[in-house]
Amino acid sequence: MNDRPELFRGNRIFLSCIYWAFVLYVFVPLILMILMGFKDSKFIGFPIRSWTLDWYKGVFDNTEVLSTFGYSIAIAVLSTLISVIVGTWIAVLLEGRKFLGRSVMFGMTVLPALVPGIISAIAFRIYARYLGIEPGMGAIVWAHAVHNVPFVVLVVMARLSTLPKSQIEAARDLGADPLVSFIRITLPYLVPAILGASIFCLLLSFDDFVRSFFLGGYEPTLPVLIFAKLRSGMSPEINAIATVALILTAAIGIWAERFTRRMNKES
Amino acid sequence: MPCPAARGAGGQTHAKESCMTDHSHPSSKAVATVATDRTFWGRLAAWGPYHTLMRLATASPRRQFLILAAFPVLWVLTQHLGPMLQMLRVSLLDAYPVAPGVEQHFTLDNYARFFGDSIFWMPFFRTLAFAAVFTFCTLIITYPVAYFLARHVSRKNQMLFLLLLLIPFWVGEIVRTYAIMILLGNTGAVNLVLKWVGLIDRPIPFMYTSFSMGVGIVYLTALYMLLPLYSALEKLPQSMNEAAADLGAGAWTRFWRVSLPLTIEGISSGCTLVFLISTGFYATPVLLGGPSTTVFAETIAGFFHVAGDEWPTGAAFATIMFMAALVITATFQKLMNALRKGESK
Repeated sequence: MNDRPELFRGNRIFLSCIYWAFVLYVFVPLILMILMGFKDSKFIGFPIRSWTLDWYKGVFDNTEVLSTFGYSIAIAVLSTLISVIVGTWIAVLLEGRKFLGRSVMFGMTVLPALVPGIISAIAFRIYARYLGIEPGMGAIVWAHAVHNVPFVVLVVMARLSTLPKSQIEAARDLGADPLVSFIRITLPYLVPAILGASIFCLLLSFDDFVRSFFLGGYEPTLPVLIFAKLRSGMSPEINAIATVALILTAAIGIWAERFTRRMNKES
Repeated sequence: MPCPAARGAGGQTHAKESCMTDHSHPSSKAVATVATDRTFWGRLAAWGPYHTLMRLATASPRRQFLILAAFPVLWVLTQHLGPMLQMLRVSLLDAYPVAPGVEQHFTLDNYARFFGDSIFWMPFFRTLAFAAVFTFCTLIITYPVAYFLARHVSRKNQMLFLLLLLIPFWVGEIVRTYAIMILLGNTGAVNLVLKWVGLIDRPIPFMYTSFSMGVGIVYLTALYMLLPLYSALEKLPQSMNEAAADLGAGAWTRFWRVSLPLTIEGISSGCTLVFLISTGFYATPVLLGGPSTTVFAETIAGFFHVAGDEWPTGAAFATIMFMAALVITATFQKLMNALRKGESK
């Protein structure tokens, strides 16, 4: 892309060093954390002299940890379903014809994404009390769903703005009512955006700590469990749990990235 | 025209056949093929009750719009705005949750409490100062990275290079915080390397200081700075830099006079995002910070751990925090906008 490389060569070498240093900064802590999960000792710290797989065996033998995984995944799936339906609906409204107060509506729509974590958690906690939702799974699902709606709206709106209007008009001319034309034309066109947004919501929900912490009951989600274990002391067991969680999220992320890109290419 | 025979799932096709024969098609044989060729949606659209319902719903553009808008508006008002408004209301009450038979009163005492004790406002100002410093650090660290990605990587490889940086950011807040704990601990990797090189004899206590907190928060927020910067830099035409170079501008001048002013929008949105996020961290300061780095999030959370009637105070403090963050980011954006307009004149 650079027509005149001789001009910028010095910069380029310097900047590429910074880039790779940044890659190191981003990856090294995680790699160290993964390595520590194989350490054959109860004490966290370098150097690692002998290795073991016992901590991982422990994770898969521990029913408490496994059920926490299931609990977190269930919360992520349920909250994502709600977010995607509501978010798509709002996006269709906002991307449709102009109406009075649309910018106000947009502002209110993105509000939950802009409220700093702790304040959002506190506000949800107070509102859950007001609505009579007991702390626990329902409360977490609800909070995650509301918090993730703005992300779905933004992604779906971006895709919706590129939908050729002629397709809708053709469908309407052929006698389709608004609902049928939405389901047959708009929705299939939105599929890549909706899938991308769903994966993003799944990861946000699965990784969320602060809302799960303040709205949770006795059963912890995975981040809350790791946090509780960390407060009572570091141990390679935590590394093993965290690594399994890390592999799960990274795998979903990479798969989604490739999948959505392929879908975008096809359409 | 609702067709009385068209009810029940089993006899649908048949019913429609006869229904249509009456109205539009002279030959019943032709209709039979049409009816079976119809897709599910075609059959649904022709189904009497559905048809009537749709006609009612879309009778006027106004009604159609109301049906589309009712749910989103209701959702946004009750779910997005509701929690914030309820928080504001509780922050003005003298007691919440209220015992039966006791009357609630509106009061400003909860806000007054904030100014009364340095144990409250110290963490508040510390949080704002930390957030500002960490945001600035994030900007300094990620700008060259974004610049490299947008300007020096071929378009084919750009996604790959970007994706490489995205992978770690899919990992959750707690796991990444823990990774930083392992990196910076007394027996952590950094101390091991320093000792091995021979720079130190005894480990440096990085942990539980503002330094470890800063490393952690920059680590967590870097992406939210990187992406806006990247998209701003990507839009910047290469020819501008070349023109500046032709006119004799050195690398530093080119950056200072061309790239930086033209990416102010990206800087402004990245900084706003990172500032808002860093003020809201709770777990990271708890795990990486120490007693001298208590942030306001911990203060606020304290009111919700105890079972007592401290919620109004906690709500008031959260409101103060939110308002302060909003005012600061709004002022910052105004300033950046003014700067941008000044530059383009």
